[in-house]
Amino acid sequence: MCNRLIIIIFAALVLTLYVLMLSASAADFRFALVLDDIKNPVFEAQQIQVQLTHGSSGAGRLDINIAEIKVQHDVWKNVNVSCRTFHLEQKNINCTSGYLNIPGLLSYPVSLHLDSDSSLLKIKVYPTKSEDWQFTLQWSHTSWQGVVAINNGQLSQIVAWWPSYEQMPKLSSGKINGVARLQGDWSGLKIASIDMSVDALTFADQSGLHAGEDISFALKSNIARSMQPNQWDWQSDLYWQDGEVFWQPVYMTGDGHHLSLQGVWDDTNVRLLDSSLILAGIGTFNFSGLMSRTGNQISAFKLVADKVESSTLFSQILKPFLRDTSFAEMEVTGHFDLSLRLQEGELQSISLDWDDGSIIDSRDRFAFHRIHAHIPWRAGSTTIADISMLKGHVLNIPLGAVRVPLEINNFNLFLPQLVLPVLDGVLKLEDFSAAYTENGWQWKFNGELLPVSMETLTTALQIQQMHGTLSGYIPEVSYDGNNVSVNGVLQINVFDGSVVVHKLMLIEPMGLTPHLKADIAMRDLDLELLTRTFSFGKMEGRVDVDLRNLELANWRPIHFDARLFSSPGDYPRRISQAAIRNISALGGEGAVVAIQRSFLRFFEEFRYSEIGWRCALRLNICFMGGIEPELQSSYMLVKGGGIPAITVMGYNQEVGWQELVNRLQRITQENEPIIQ
Amino acid sequence: MIKRTIYCSLLLLFLMFASILLISRVQAANLEINTPAITSIKQSMQSRHAQLVEHYDSGAVGLTMDGMITMRDANAVPLAKRQSVNSLVSAENQDRNALYREIARANNHPEWESQIRSTFGQRWINMARPGWWYQTNHNSWAQK
Repeated sequence: MCNRLIIIIFAALVLTLYVLMLSASAADFRFALVLDDIKNPVFEAQQIQVQLTHGSSGAGRLDINIAEIKVQHDVWKNVNVSCRTFHLEQKNINCTSGYLNIPGLLSYPVSLHLDSDSSLLKIKVYPTKSEDWQFTLQWSHTSWQGVVAINNGQLSQIVAWWPSYEQMPKLSSGKINGVARLQGDWSGLKIASIDMSVDALTFADQSGLHAGEDISFALKSNIARSMQPNQWDWQSDLYWQDGEVFWQPVYMTGDGHHLSLQGVWDDTNVRLLDSSLILAGIGTFNFSGLMSRTGNQISAFKLVADKVESSTLFSQILKPFLRDTSFAEMEVTGHFDLSLRLQEGELQSISLDWDDGSIIDSRDRFAFHRIHAHIPWRAGSTTIADISMLKGHVLNIPLGAVRVPLEINNFNLFLPQLVLPVLDGVLKLEDFSAAYTENGWQWKFNGELLPVSMETLTTALQIQQMHGTLSGYIPEVSYDGNNVSVNGVLQINVFDGSVVVHKLMLIEPMGLTPHLKADIAMRDLDLELLTRTFSFGKMEGRVDVDLRNLELANWRPIHFDARLFSSPGDYPRRISQAAIRNISALGGEGAVVAIQRSFLRFFEEFRYSEIGWRCALRLNICFMGGIEPELQSSYMLVKGGGIPAITVMGYNQEVGWQELVNRLQRITQENEPIIQ
Repeated sequence: MIKRTIYCSLLLLFLMFASILLISRVQAANLEINTPAITSIKQSMQSRHAQLVEHYDSGAVGLTMDGMITMRDANAVPLAKRQSVNSLVSAENQDRNALYREIARANNHPEWESQIRSTFGQRWINMARPGWWYQTNHNSWAQK
């Protein structure tokens, strides 16, 4: 802008001279002109002095000094344009070794040629030896045309003239080559075209969070005045060929991305027609739209994309925005087709067709494979999405093939029923509903778990193998954006007894350290099944377990109050020698088995009347007790009854939880029972 | 006027008393407490630390007063690596947030999280190696 003004001033002065000299003879003369000031809404110039010395040979010297030029907020002082070899003829003016000097801003050699016969003005600026900018203007009584040709233009020089803002990235290098052409008549511009390329462009803001290096791109653009008044047809193509850009949080390299825009522009609207964005390695996005110039509002917009590569789109563009969420470590594959439509700035419809996709959490918390999805969405109406998955897993629990007919109404989802194969059983979800609220997504459902064998479940969870089946009714389960809560009780049938889970809550299930809280009451568990499962040594009988204030962090217990005790009722109560040894291990080094060694050591099994064990887990320490709370240093774990009877005492009241688990896992025999 | 002065003095006393109570509460918190979740977070942070050290050294990443880290000067990181450093910073901050939350929970005082966070903030800064950058009271940066 400033550059153009300087050239205009320069040209205007030369033209003035030219007009003056038309009447002059070729004889020697000296001409001087002084202007106090020139004022314009855009610029001001003060104390303009023009001196022309002309010899009889036709050569002369031109000096123009301007004391001050002010363009908006920029002020330049002592601006000088000089022409040491100045040829002034009747129809030509030539300045072949001129110099333009604006102290502190630029100091460039310039040349000028004006030919009145061909109505041609050429100005050439040479900022460096390898760089030149040529401005050509040719005119007739009906039309004019201008050309700006740039050869090796240094962008760093140009940006020195631009206004600078602290937050704005600063350009440090870059080369521009190309041509801009303008054509018009005396009513104004008719056609303009640009064919430019930029190489080695480097920019960065102060923080380095918005930066680019070695960027090469080409810009081709045309604009033409339409037949309609005040309307322009335009078309632009931008090819990003090389270099890299980091624009927090996205990093992209120029691998041949191409933005093509075309449309119509008038006083009120900008209309986009058949435009496209080709992201190399991702896909092509075709779009069109209408934007109101008053208020810069999008009146209409339509986007269509086919066969978009999900993996690259997600990893390069979407994932950086999700880095503070549970999806930060997710990988997505497959291809999708997408179309969306906006009207008056509001989203009207989306249609997503995802083909053979997968979603995999790199922390292995979940994975869904071979996904096919048709998801239509329309504002203000109900649509049905059809989503299917061949297999997957959540927290190591395998899921089978499933087809989900999901009802979508604005930002509410509803699923009347879903049958999801889980291991060798089935999870039936009913009345699933989800809604997007100001706290994020919230959902709820109820359902039923049809028998899953404990063998497959424990194998999948990589924990101690158990026998039996797991099944139960699932009351309302809800998610409030942070926590999953079970409203009501969760009932599970396992070890031929029942397990009732109260106050079940999963805090931040997809967080780094999910917490599970619950109160669990187990009734009538078959001890034989239980002890066989854990290879604990055979025990016969039934037990109840109360597990109150249970809290797991990262699926490991950090807090609970546990109490195991014999179920009321009449049933066989027998305990094997192996089980006695292992129970004694629970009591630690000081455990004593009260048994009449001399007589009962010959028995493989003993009778008992009651079993009891308590553990309050606090900060990794299990504070243990037996059948009844004991104030003394010992507690009774097994109370004998019948013949042969056995009583097992425990003495170790505090044991590290991990140590206790290790003991159970080893089924240690370190603590030999003391036979009395 | 005297009445207002008395009110103001009482309010000041109350605030001082409340702050002392608050400080003494945090001082009572066991910052070395250990649970499986805390162990797991600490392991995760420890394995990431080796990758972060070069960025602490270069000044690209600095320690904030609230016990987090931030990209302080991305210019110190090659352009192609800035996104991955961003992710490292983000993952570290997620771990740190989880650590403060877990310590507060393990102390049976989830409401202490913010005080635990500030205490850790100061602790990380004290433990920083010479040359590392940290945020000061005036929200500016200083080098150790």
